[in-house]
Amino acid sequence: MAASQENESDMDFSDNDCYDYNNYYNDDDSDVEHVDPMKVDPEYFEYRCLSEEEVERLLNESVESLSNCLRISPTLAKVLLHGHHWNSNEVIRKYKDNPSQTIIWAKINPPSPQSIMTSNYYTCPVCVTPQHVEKFSHLPCGHKFCKDCWITHFEVQINQGISTSISCMAKDCVVLVPESFVLMHLQHKTNIREKYQHFVFQDYVKSHPELRFCPGPNCPIIVHSREIKAKKSICEQCKTAFCFRCGCDYHAPTDCQVIKKWLIKCADDSETANYISAHTKDCPKCHICIEKNGGCNHMQCYNCKHDFCWMCLGDWKSHGSEYYECSRYRENPNIAHESVHAQAREALTKYLHYYERWENHSKSLKLEEQTLEKLRDRINEKVMSGLGTWIDWQYLFASANLLAKCRYTLQYTYPFAYYMDAGPRKELFEYQQAQLEAEIENLSWKIERAETTDRGDLENQMDIAEKRRTTLLKDFLDV
Amino acid sequence: MANIAAQRIKREFKEVIRSEEVAKCAIKLDLVDNNYTELRGEIAGPPDTAYEGGNFVLEIKVPETYPFNPPKVRFITKIWHPNISSVTGAICLDILKDQWAAAMTLRTVLLSLQALLSAAEPDDPQDAVVARQYKENVEMFRLTARHWTNAYAGGPNANPECDEKIKRLVDMGIEEHQARVALSSYNWDLERATEQLFS
Repeated sequence: MAASQENESDMDFSDNDCYDYNNYYNDDDSDVEHVDPMKVDPEYFEYRCLSEEEVERLLNESVESLSNCLRISPTLAKVLLHGHHWNSNEVIRKYKDNPSQTIIWAKINPPSPQSIMTSNYYTCPVCVTPQHVEKFSHLPCGHKFCKDCWITHFEVQINQGISTSISCMAKDCVVLVPESFVLMHLQHKTNIREKYQHFVFQDYVKSHPELRFCPGPNCPIIVHSREIKAKKSICEQCKTAFCFRCGCDYHAPTDCQVIKKWLIKCADDSETANYISAHTKDCPKCHICIEKNGGCNHMQCYNCKHDFCWMCLGDWKSHGSEYYECSRYRENPNIAHESVHAQAREALTKYLHYYERWENHSKSLKLEEQTLEKLRDRINEKVMSGLGTWIDWQYLFASANLLAKCRYTLQYTYPFAYYMDAGPRKELFEYQQAQLEAEIENLSWKIERAETTDRGDLENQMDIAEKRRTTLLKDFLDV
Repeated sequence: MANIAAQRIKREFKEVIRSEEVAKCAIKLDLVDNNYTELRGEIAGPPDTAYEGGNFVLEIKVPETYPFNPPKVRFITKIWHPNISSVTGAICLDILKDQWAAAMTLRTVLLSLQALLSAAEPDDPQDAVVARQYKENVEMFRLTARHWTNAYAGGPNANPECDEKIKRLVDMGIEEHQARVALSSYNWDLERATEQLFS
């Protein structure tokens, strides 16, 4: 089920296609040189989408192999693994080094156990009821409580969402209650038992670095990858795309900490940035009010036909060349000598520069989704009037998908640039970002205006845009 | 109210009444209602602390899930302490939160609170103003805490200088407690306290 990101074409091949393309190509695999996919595609990521049952099997396998390796009970193996982020090798190393200490550190055994009682009757310290010794149970720490109190203790804890961290009821006792002990006491309480097992499973997945819950709403899928990196995974079931490491929206080339910082900053400063969200600007030449209704930043005034850039309102012609300067923020070189107020103003201007571009691409992405709808209508119209067949026009969808992918990456280059230190590396980054920006706008312009089935020009543009995108990621994606 | 909770409180009530701490007048427990859901605790300020000689009254509410959940406790007597809110009396103490264990009792709680008065934890503050004063100027903190103990908990150590400053503000029409809070928050700087009160 290994999935590659590249397969985003809208074209569907039916499963019962009698010709097996994969086999056809695999046949003469022998004389094809094997290349590292990472070198070709910096975003290449091997992962699997698993169901709860499959993950349970996976966890049980590691529990079983550890319990066989160290000759310990599966219960103990499970607690040890959970306490060590499911790193078997670390558990084995620690356990072989000092078994009794490892069990104490894992809060399974107490540093010094209590003596076992001898009398037949005993008063439970929680409910203060004297009962026969048979009604009592205890953990390795030896603190005895009646079974009814244990059950209530578990119910109260589980109803508060606590599962793997439930501990003994004695004062100052840190010993944790293992899963088997809880389940044994709750064997007649199906509801609470199921709730417990559900929470325990969630705790296990969350503590396992190779597993990540799909963040899609109500999606039960769990993504598994041996490579713990900030790479893009797409849920097979709900199609949500997210970063494997942090579970948030995919954010290359920005890394997990930086994007978090950026999003918090944007949320904090939302009021300041609100005015940017206005949808209209005035044409720089004839000053007529223009609303942006497509994704492309290359605007043409419907009134005076002036071509300009939506972001900086500059003449579009000066944008297309090598000297695409609109994405770059020019810092005041003397800012350190300015007053505190001037510095604050400069900091705000800088932030707004990046925020405006970030926000604009996010909006463009949404507008381009609408463009796709219009594209469908246009194609229908063309086909009806005899201009090519439906198949002839499919390339437009492929290019729209590619455009979305490129624009998405471009959007996430802005927080990256915002937090980058000034210097030659930032200059290189901004140069590549500007190149990508220019090619994406060209592509967007061409898709919105594609009128023929002549795909050569557009496919050429697609190729250039994607090359720019992968070049930027190859140089700057550091996961 | 659940059976176990009432059973436990009855038993604990006796435990405190019988205990040697009562004999030494260090802790005390009274019933507020007859169904054991609310109690009134009292602890003596520990010797050799700013709280020495004071008596601190506590509100104790027993939840239905007691003893599997901790009792809800807050100070009724106003107190100047980094881990206790000088406004609401809310307490920041681990055993009243996630470190509670069902085998703990109200006696443990009262004794732990008494221990908290002897050893504050300014890094885990409930009252940020008090905690900052504790860390920046511990002498000023002690003076203030002793003054509050005298003013609200019947402590014997009056500080004429503090009382004088409060009186100055009261003469200006400020309510006494409000004046005390302002002065305490500004290290008894009368000018800054006045400025804050009238701004």
